[in-house]
Amino acid sequence: MDEISADSFNIRDYLRLELFPHFLCPGCGHGIALRALLWAIHELGIDKNDLAIVSGIGCSGRTGAYIDANTFHVTHGRPLAFATGLALARPDLEVVVITGDGDCLAIGGNHLIHACRRNLNLTCMMLNNEVYGMTGGQASPTTSATRYTTTTQSGSIEPVFDACALAAAAGAGFVGREVTIQTPALKNLLRDAIAHKGFSFVEVLSDCTEIFGRKNDLGESPEMIMTQKSTMRPASYGVVGGNIVDEPFRATNLKTGILTRTDRPEYGAAYRAHAAGIRAARKS
Amino acid sequence: MPSQSTARDLQGNQACALGAVAAGCRFYAGYPITPSSEIAETMSVEMPRAGGVFVQMEDEIASLGAVLGASMGGAKAMTATSGPGFSLKQEHIGYGAGAEIPCVIVNVMRGGPSTGLPTRPSQGDIMQSRWGTHGDHSVIVLAPASVPEIFSETIRAFALSERLRLPVIVLYDEVIGHLVETVEIPAPGTVEVADRKWATGAAESFQPYAVTDDLVPPMARPGDGYRTHTTGLTHLESGFPTQEPECVERITRRISGKLVHHRELIESYEAAGCEDAEIVVCAIGISARAARRAVNAARAQGIKAGLFRPITLWPFPESAFKSATASARTIIVAELNAGQLVLEIERLCGGARQVESIARVDGEPIEPAEIEAKIRELSSHG
Amino acid sequence: MENFEIRFGGSGGQGLQLSARLLADALIREGRKVARSQSYEPTSRGGLSRADLVVAAKRIDYPLITALDVLVLLDQLPVAVSMPLLRPGALVIADARRAGEIPEGDHDLHLLPLSESALALGNERATNIVALGVLAGLGEVCEHDTLETVIRDGVPPRFLDLNLRAFAKGVELGEAGGPGR
Ligand code: SF4
Repeated sequence: MDEISADSFNIRDYLRLELFPHFLCPGCGHGIALRALLWAIHELGIDKNDLAIVSGIGCSGRTGAYIDANTFHVTHGRPLAFATGLALARPDLEVVVITGDGDCLAIGGNHLIHACRRNLNLTCMMLNNEVYGMTGGQASPTTSATRYTTTTQSGSIEPVFDACALAAAAGAGFVGREVTIQTPALKNLLRDAIAHKGFSFVEVLSDCTEIFGRKNDLGESPEMIMTQKSTMRPASYGVVGGNIVDEPFRATNLKTGILTRTDRPEYGAAYRAHAAGIRAARKS
Repeated sequence: MPSQSTARDLQGNQACALGAVAAGCRFYAGYPITPSSEIAETMSVEMPRAGGVFVQMEDEIASLGAVLGASMGGAKAMTATSGPGFSLKQEHIGYGAGAEIPCVIVNVMRGGPSTGLPTRPSQGDIMQSRWGTHGDHSVIVLAPASVPEIFSETIRAFALSERLRLPVIVLYDEVIGHLVETVEIPAPGTVEVADRKWATGAAESFQPYAVTDDLVPPMARPGDGYRTHTTGLTHLESGFPTQEPECVERITRRISGKLVHHRELIESYEAAGCEDAEIVVCAIGISARAARRAVNAARAQGIKAGLFRPITLWPFPESAFKSATASARTIIVAELNAGQLVLEIERLCGGARQVESIARVDGEPIEPAEIEAKIRELSSHG
Repeated sequence: MENFEIRFGGSGGQGLQLSARLLADALIREGRKVARSQSYEPTSRGGLSRADLVVAAKRIDYPLITALDVLVLLDQLPVAVSMPLLRPGALVIADARRAGEIPEGDHDLHLLPLSESALALGNERATNIVALGVLAGLGEVCEHDTLETVIRDGVPPRFLDLNLRAFAKGVELGEAGGPGR
């Protein structure tokens, strides 16, 4: 299925093994996403020394520390703000943000839409597991209707964000979505996202087995991951809806794969050209 | 390029921006807010000229986030704001203190709380600048009282921030920020640009938060092969999080110990006429300017009055204050708030001296006559 | 006058900040220290506007005005708030047309056709420069030649001719002394 052999990819080359065992619960989808990300980085031939991972707060954000690169674990909701400064100051680095649905869409929502608008060369991987796992299972802006969490004990009634539709509407140059069970496809999507010059947003539908899965009786991790297969549709199915979804998110026919790819001007290059013009005009 | 210094009439906020440029600042991120916006406006012109980056962020929080990100990448970076924005930046000030990321934050004080008095002066952030973020933390706060001093203290803010790896706050009131005075701008390239200590040596054994003699660990620049981890979690010398009580204590004490260890480098103050003073006025910013005139007027009337002006507001120059007030019977603290600096002075005096407060909260600066009257009233002379 | 405080008061858009800046430049060239402050409320058109200078031979302790030695009024708006700030015997220069109602008091009032003169020269917006000319003509605040030099250096070339004529007209009014009180 995968066009490039996985043989040469050894995930251990990209991990800080001295930190193991890791903190993720057994069966947590975030580990699969991390694997896909590192695989994509390997395929792109990015030097670990030139890779900067900026992550926020939550289970998603904690994964950054395991990557053997320049890793920055910052404040809740603000990894895109930090990454914006880092990428503008250091265009030579490959900057990848790891964030979660709460980190990115709730407390960090403002930074997301403006990062999309600016279109600075960054990749944002948002791990969507519909829940605040690290703080014990509270509802997030993507918790599907009817789902139980510790703050929606009788089932959630709030509508959810379609993060991809939101990112596309806000101007992200590259938008894609994938499920963890399609690991090679996720790797390919992340590879294309990182290679894209501009702001790339990738939503990974991940599973919080230990908290969200248990609370909602979704079975163990094998059952949860198989559910992905039955509810997700490849890109040719379904449509990207509006920014707001009123029905259970994962029950809708979610498009996966690359959803948007445009060649809007990349902000960093545009800024440098603009500044060079100012300096040239002053010299003459 | 001029090879000599040039005298320029500058507004306080412009002087702040130009001081930053002279200090080597090459990254500015900000958000519009009165009465500090002229700093952002000036930086938007200066940064591209100097080969740096200016970016207007989506909010106050993102501004300091971007500054920290740029600094983690190796750039000297600054943001500026005022009361409400300063409140919003507090979490990131804590991040800078804990993860030891150099950065400069300017707060041009206006009346508060909340939206308060956007165009009126205040000195209501004296305590917020010290204790605004949660938890024990170390920050330096510099409080210039004139336009030339804004220029020079902004340069010093960068030097301290880079050398000691911590956020430095430049704090002044709206009056000083909008005042126009003459600043002697040094010839380009003549200002000593302080750079942080960069990591050298083998990457394998490098400890990003190692305990060094000066308590300031060298910093690893991304791309140089060190591949370190930076986090706001309490972390070990290795950079990775810990909750081990003895490690937590060791790390916390080293970080706050930087301020004690480098006290001489950090502290700065003006003491005028304090040697024989019976009454010493203590103030910062525009209030210190009023105090200086009041003290001179009192002296002309034969009253032994002096001025103590902390230029480094935090850590407060304790021993300098104590020796400057050795002969004083009374300390008058003049400030544009309901009484903040006076708390520190009372603590330092420990009941051994009479401490009097002039605390103005009507959005107007304290006039020299107000202080002069107080000096006369408290003097044994009159 | 070696140490003094002066205010330019009027309404937004009258170029008060420019006249204050030009006078400050001239005084600095003469070796004085100057601190300049202004009303900060956005008043690009209409609304009270003021520009204050504190001038000293040596260091300026307190940079804000406390007692005015000179008050220049181009509009009625700042009159009420500024009169209580006058030092006894202060010099007051007011535009006869737009700031004609100046209360009696212990000051040296010069009610002059500032804006009328600017209008006669073809542009009312040169009123601020006429006022500077008056200050030069009265000869108490700043040297004529220094002021003229800073005007030459400090105003855009296309307005230079108008401004120089406005300045000369002001000098003439100042030298005549105007109808003192
Ligand atoms: S709490 Fe949920 S999201 Fe967090 S590590 Fe465990 S399974 Fe994963």
